[in-house]
Amino acid sequence: MNWALIVTIVFYALALLHSCLGFFQKRQIFVSLALCMVGVGFLFHTVYLVGLGLERRHFPITDLPESLSFFAWSITLTFIAAHIRYRYNVLGAFVLPLVSLLMILSEVAWEENHAIPPLLRSRWLYFHVSVAFLAYAGFFLMFIAALLYLMQEKELKSKRFRFLYFRLPALQACDELMRNSLFVGFVMMSLTIVTGAFWAQQAWGRFWSWDPKETASLVTWSIYLLLVHYRLSGGWRARRAAYVSIAGFVSMIITFGVNAGLHAYL
Amino acid sequence: MSDLVLIGLNHRTAEVERRERAALPSADVPGALTELTARPGIQEALILSTCNRVEVVSRVDGADPAFEILESFLAEVSGLPRNELSESLYRYAGSEAVEHVFRVASSLDSMILGEPQILGQVKSAYSLAVETGSSGTLLNNLFQAAFRVAKRVRTETSIGEYSVSVSSAAVELARKVLGNLSRKTILIVGAGEMGENTARYLADDGAGSIYVTNRGAEAAAGLASRFGGIAVPFDQLRYWLAHVDIVIVSTAAPNLIIDRSMVTSALRTRRNRPIVFIDMSVPRNVDPAVSDIENAFCYDIDDLGAVVEANLEERRGAAALAEKLVRQESEAFWARVKSMDAAPMVVEVRRRIEEVCHSELDRYLKRNGPRDPKEMKELEILVSRIAGKMSHPLVTQIKSAHEDPTHERALLTVVSRLFKSHKDPA
Repeated sequence: MNWALIVTIVFYALALLHSCLGFFQKRQIFVSLALCMVGVGFLFHTVYLVGLGLERRHFPITDLPESLSFFAWSITLTFIAAHIRYRYNVLGAFVLPLVSLLMILSEVAWEENHAIPPLLRSRWLYFHVSVAFLAYAGFFLMFIAALLYLMQEKELKSKRFRFLYFRLPALQACDELMRNSLFVGFVMMSLTIVTGAFWAQQAWGRFWSWDPKETASLVTWSIYLLLVHYRLSGGWRARRAAYVSIAGFVSMIITFGVNAGLHAYL
Repeated sequence: MSDLVLIGLNHRTAEVERRERAALPSADVPGALTELTARPGIQEALILSTCNRVEVVSRVDGADPAFEILESFLAEVSGLPRNELSESLYRYAGSEAVEHVFRVASSLDSMILGEPQILGQVKSAYSLAVETGSSGTLLNNLFQAAFRVAKRVRTETSIGEYSVSVSSAAVELARKVLGNLSRKTILIVGAGEMGENTARYLADDGAGSIYVTNRGAEAAAGLASRFGGIAVPFDQLRYWLAHVDIVIVSTAAPNLIIDRSMVTSALRTRRNRPIVFIDMSVPRNVDPAVSDIENAFCYDIDDLGAVVEANLEERRGAAALAEKLVRQESEAFWARVKSMDAAPMVVEVRRRIEEVCHSELDRYLKRNGPRDPKEMKELEILVSRIAGKMSHPLVTQIKSAHEDPTHERALLTVVSRLFKSHKDPA
């Protein structure tokens, strides 16, 4: 199935190139081309993942290369959804660098015939890990929206109307994207923790063991809970929400990176 | 052999006073076109006359003093003395004329770069020429192509995207903060003219309810009725700040009307939903410190000027891209015209060579009796191949003749004489 992976990487890289061209030159044609390429890349990516799963006879998120690839897939999925909903032309130039990077890392770190721990041969894997990655993707999108917000706010407050002013979306638009990706990410992350707890109960007889990844994800979840709470109660939007969501994103990366204790295999 | 020529003057080459005298009212254009196409060598013609330019485009046939004919014609119809006219004129032929027409239609030659009216003016000049019957195949193709190129420039570059008036800059700023303005509410403070203009732009943009307040309630009511808005009492300003998204201030008051504390408390009431202040009054009526408050955005008249300036700068950037596009299109168009020009000669050359080859074959067959079908076929192929090999370099030369304008005519004349073509290109 490796050819599908190569085709995917090529299409994502081309899409990234065209998004950047569209961003710098402000030409719609490049943005539209980039979107077509993302679509095609995503299709091949899906074919690749399905093929890999069938070939290895497991859901392909059991080692690092597999998960990087799946993470990239989740981000692309949320990106396409966000584009269909909001049509912000600049999104690709900010989201696709990570997607391409993840794909390349996945290809570099590739290992053949790895054995998966028997623990992962469980139906919980499908649900637990896929919602986890969707949560990560949602939070990543929120992080990007927060960056766009802060940059555009700086332009608008400094009253010097330059490069970014002309290219970034309206503040309210960034804020809306922040809000919606927060809600999606938060629901997904809550589901991750709940399904994780049930799986843990089955596998080890305990719902919660305070292993490093569990603890880190609880911290991340709390940060986003705070955001959701204050967002709904009215006070925290815009700049404050943007700062907190950046903090949440950092915490999320730590959560993703902590692979010790019970989560040692990944 | 025909050529495309263009002469004209515009805001860069002639003062407004001279342009005024050269301008042709559109009622006089059909008569002038009829007169011009009656002159020797003038095959097709079109006149574009606006307040910024007067131009004559024409297809001429073998008339070497083509510019001369057009110039004396323009001097006659405009009433400008010949010497005054000559020093203001630009003269283009061939692909340069094509490029100029494309640039004009795409508003790259306009006084205000990217202004949209010029395309409409070119379109009506074209329909005048069509109605008069002075426009033929070449000009039809040229102007259809120009309209297509102008559209491409509009859609593929951002040249027309940026507003260059103060009022529309205010709307643009509001949109950069609030996004879609369709359900946003507006409060107009004061009955100044600038405020009214801006409110009109916002209303055209589909903004929601409009409220008007003023120290003098009568002026407020008058302004409100013009927009279908609602007049509200001036002493309730504090209350209304909490309930609108855009505040346009345009009064003659010498002091601050809206201060920091008013905005802070308004934002608290509206749970931090952003609010945009456009302060068009001089001296300013909104405390500049309002800008420091999170979720409050305040712009005065100088800031709007800065937006306009930045927009013009962006337009100039987009224009560079548009120029490139126009150049490519005009080169492609001219190559197409030239290859269409060459088509009859190509056909003629091919026909002559094939004729010679086949008549020789016939003669040979007559003399040496019939052949069996297989040999016949081989002979036919042989002869066709010779004809093809002979005509190929000639056809290539004819088709690419326009790339070398100094020898184009000489080359085509020689070829047509050699092959006794009916149409002599001189």
